[in-house]
Amino acid sequence: MAIFNLKKKEIECKVVFYGPGRCGKTTNLEYIFKSYKKQITGEMVSINTEGDRTLFFDFLPMGLGKIKGCDVRVQLYTVPGQVKYSSTRKLVLRGVDGIVFVADSLEVRREKNMLSLKDLQANLKEYGKSIFKVPLILQYNKRDLADEGIPLMSTEQMEKDLNRQLKVPSFAASAVKGAGVGVTLKACLMETLKSLQREFKWAE
Amino acid sequence: MNESVVLSGSLSFMPLGDILQLLGATNGTGVLRLINRYAPEPGFIYFMEGNPVNAQNGSVDGLEALYSLFGWLEGSFEFTREAIFADRQITKSRMGIILEGMKRLDDGVTKKIGPVTAAETIAETNRSGGSGTIIKGPLVDYMYVVDEEDFFNGEHIVEEGKHGSWMWVILEGVVDIVKEASPVPVHILRIGDGAFIGSMASFLLQGHIRTATAVAVGNVQLGVLDSQRLAQEYAGMSLEFRIFLSSLDKRLKQLTDQILERHKGKNNVDDILKGKKILIRQEKSDSKQFFMIKQGRAVVVRNTPNGPIVLGHLYKGDYFGEVPFLHLGQEPEGAAVYASESIKIVKIETEGLQREYFHLSTTFKNIVDNMATCISVTSDVVCGACSIKTLPADESTLRQDT
Repeated sequence: MAIFNLKKKEIECKVVFYGPGRCGKTTNLEYIFKSYKKQITGEMVSINTEGDRTLFFDFLPMGLGKIKGCDVRVQLYTVPGQVKYSSTRKLVLRGVDGIVFVADSLEVRREKNMLSLKDLQANLKEYGKSIFKVPLILQYNKRDLADEGIPLMSTEQMEKDLNRQLKVPSFAASAVKGAGVGVTLKACLMETLKSLQREFKWAE
Repeated sequence: MNESVVLSGSLSFMPLGDILQLLGATNGTGVLRLINRYAPEPGFIYFMEGNPVNAQNGSVDGLEALYSLFGWLEGSFEFTREAIFADRQITKSRMGIILEGMKRLDDGVTKKIGPVTAAETIAETNRSGGSGTIIKGPLVDYMYVVDEEDFFNGEHIVEEGKHGSWMWVILEGVVDIVKEASPVPVHILRIGDGAFIGSMASFLLQGHIRTATAVAVGNVQLGVLDSQRLAQEYAGMSLEFRIFLSSLDKRLKQLTDQILERHKGKNNVDDILKGKKILIRQEKSDSKQFFMIKQGRAVVVRNTPNGPIVLGHLYKGDYFGEVPFLHLGQEPEGAAVYASESIKIVKIETEGLQREYFHLSTTFKNIVDNMATCISVTSDVVCGACSIKTLPADESTLRQDT
């Protein structure tokens, strides 16, 4: 649920980066934080959670314009994957407006990706959301590692593994180098706003 | 009465993380007060323009206090708008605090404060022989307060054996509940803000006789409850629910009497249990069963390391079993139920009672919750008061799970 802040004339929505541990969620967010500095208000919050870091910052997307005279502000989060961080996950996922699922292209992580996606579905269900309805973008990360001779899955195979039923937009990316990060985020924001517009019939 | 309360609610519905976000989004300046009946003192968080600047939890303040308050998963909160002159002790960003607070909770660094830990602390205070536990209630609903009264240290608010049907809620201060006994009165309980003085029996008959004495500890401010309104609400309840309430009230009265018996050193538990069969074992069970006695009698017994201890007797019309919406601390987890051979019981569906419970007015619900807490704590006091080793728990039918 996006929050309408009438005092500030802002619509605040929540975009969450989800994915298995070490898949590059944090790297994605760090890259966004670095390269879109001008659009970022406030600092980046980084919490060291076991096995991963949890990141958060506010983002003012440019070029999306105003909706009904309100600015759009996006809160970007990553979620700690470990089971025990249920309170954190709940806080982050509750009222989520859009999700980027970051999948790891390494062959050895194939199963981890699928488990994490299942986990996402279960978590969303707990908060009364369907993975088929929430705005979702897939990102196949770490494509650059192919150059170093590390065995990767083809995007076609990943598409088959993860996106066969979902049929959501997907992008290849290399978060370390920044390739594909911008388009993933942009696509996710578009989907998120479209869905909010549908929900509130702004488009009339 | 504070008129500047602009936001209040329940922590179990809206956890601290969400409140912080909400106050942040609305740029609130003021004080957030948290009340948890399992914590001795309320917690405070001070906000300036939506950002927390200081916090206090007991003797701890600053960021550490704020993190510790994330462990309060139950209780109530209220936010009052007021100018803040406190030092800015906390400078960390709001979202950073929230995420770190949640993380500490998940990591187990921050302790969860709830019913489970309360039972432990009560056991703790009992062992040390003190009466450190103070039973508190949620925030007072002023709709039901018709008048305020002040009492000074040592003054008797009600006296055992005297007639009276007023009920009070403690607005501020601490009150001791004692039973008259010779040579010295026996201390039963200590109650504080939000707890009630006067029992459910006040509605039952006119000219009700007080069962215990309430003494002000320090200066106490009480709110006189609108008894007519409460009595009207009581009269509107189903017969079943009214019997359920008076059954609970009887339990509490018996418990206070048991404390007295203990102090006299009486213990006839083996006589009482003679010829009785076990109905409910003292154990964690998933079967949510609830019964009413049609005929015969039963006894509620807690098995302790010092042997079984009688918590109360049940007669025709009394209820027993698992009450899903109240925490009584007795059967099945905290006590066993034994019955006479001739007993006849009927199973009761709790849905109806539960529905009625949820439809109670805030004040009445608080009274019922307060009674449940008192039953739970007094049960522990009864067992704690029994320092004399009574009976070796050698019966094979007795199970020890606490």
